[in-house]
Amino acid sequence: MANNLNRPALIVVIGVLGFLVAISFNTTKQLTTAHPERASDLASVVRDLENQRTELQERLADLRGDMDVLEAEAAEDAGISDSYSRELDQARQAAGLSGVTGPGVEILLGDGGDVAVDGDPNDYLIHDTDITAVVNALVAAGAEAVEINGERVVATTPIRCAGTTVLVNSARLGSPYVIRAVGDPGELEAAVADDPIASLLFTSYKAQYGLQAEVTEAEDIVIEPYKGTFRPQYLLSGQGGQG
Amino acid sequence: MLALLLALALGIALGLLTNISIPAALLTYLGVAVLAAIDACLGGVKAALEQTFDDKAFVSGFITNTLMAAFIVFVGDRIGVRELYLAAVVAFGVRVFDNLGTVRSLLFHRWGWE
Repeated sequence: MANNLNRPALIVVIGVLGFLVAISFNTTKQLTTAHPERASDLASVVRDLENQRTELQERLADLRGDMDVLEAEAAEDAGISDSYSRELDQARQAAGLSGVTGPGVEILLGDGGDVAVDGDPNDYLIHDTDITAVVNALVAAGAEAVEINGERVVATTPIRCAGTTVLVNSARLGSPYVIRAVGDPGELEAAVADDPIASLLFTSYKAQYGLQAEVTEAEDIVIEPYKGTFRPQYLLSGQGGQG
Repeated sequence: MLALLLALALGIALGLLTNISIPAALLTYLGVAVLAAIDACLGGVKAALEQTFDDKAFVSGFITNTLMAAFIVFVGDRIGVRELYLAAVVAFGVRVFDNLGTVRSLLFHRWGWE
């Protein structure tokens, strides 16, 4: 039967059709299997790593406490002069490894209210760039220590956007952001008000988008020590200065 | 008849075994091209059953249909009307079912089931 169906051209082309169908099948299979699982895998990996990081940070704080005690003992035993341990304290303070307290300002930045019908939702959020502008203004005005939601800003601290959160050191922070800085309260407040970018947060953006933005002067700002590690990979001791 | 089904199975098996895949962005192109190819093949079977099959007409029809279908998707992407591929899907979909109906009744006729 059906001899007139067995045309070579028809047979070859139908073979090609089957091949094309199989290729689309392969591609679709890859798409549906690869994506959703990978996303949830990654989310759980991030959660695990964040838990691990918290544990390690706690251990690091313990060990640093132990080290302080041992150093003090060693200094006593060896009769090392007070000036040396004072220098060590100063270096540690400058690096942000010790908690500090003093007069300064507390700045609250929070996301805005309801987005207007024709508004851009991005206008109603506090961004990493806003926080950077405020921190820069504070440091430029002589702030001696700065923290954001308990994350100490040190020399190696990145402040960058990470999805809906802002990454400071290795912590993901969400709105509202509380920035604390120790320094001359009047100068710090004036610096933020004068900074061309940071000042917008407290004036036009606040009025237009309902952002929370408050500067409060305080006499007793308490700032946490840096909880992360310094593990230089490329850094070598220089020849200049005290080497 | 048997040879056609064997060829189809062989093509599918070959594709699955080699496990070739294409970038996800091109999947719509291939999908519409496959639909056009199904349409051309059914048209070929229909023509063969009606004794009007012509090698040149069939092969050139298969190639131009497939390429045109992919081209429509491409044009849609370029001019920002991504949904243009739906036009090809609907056009070929209607033709596939049309041809399927004709092929079925021709086969029934041939096997003397009527």
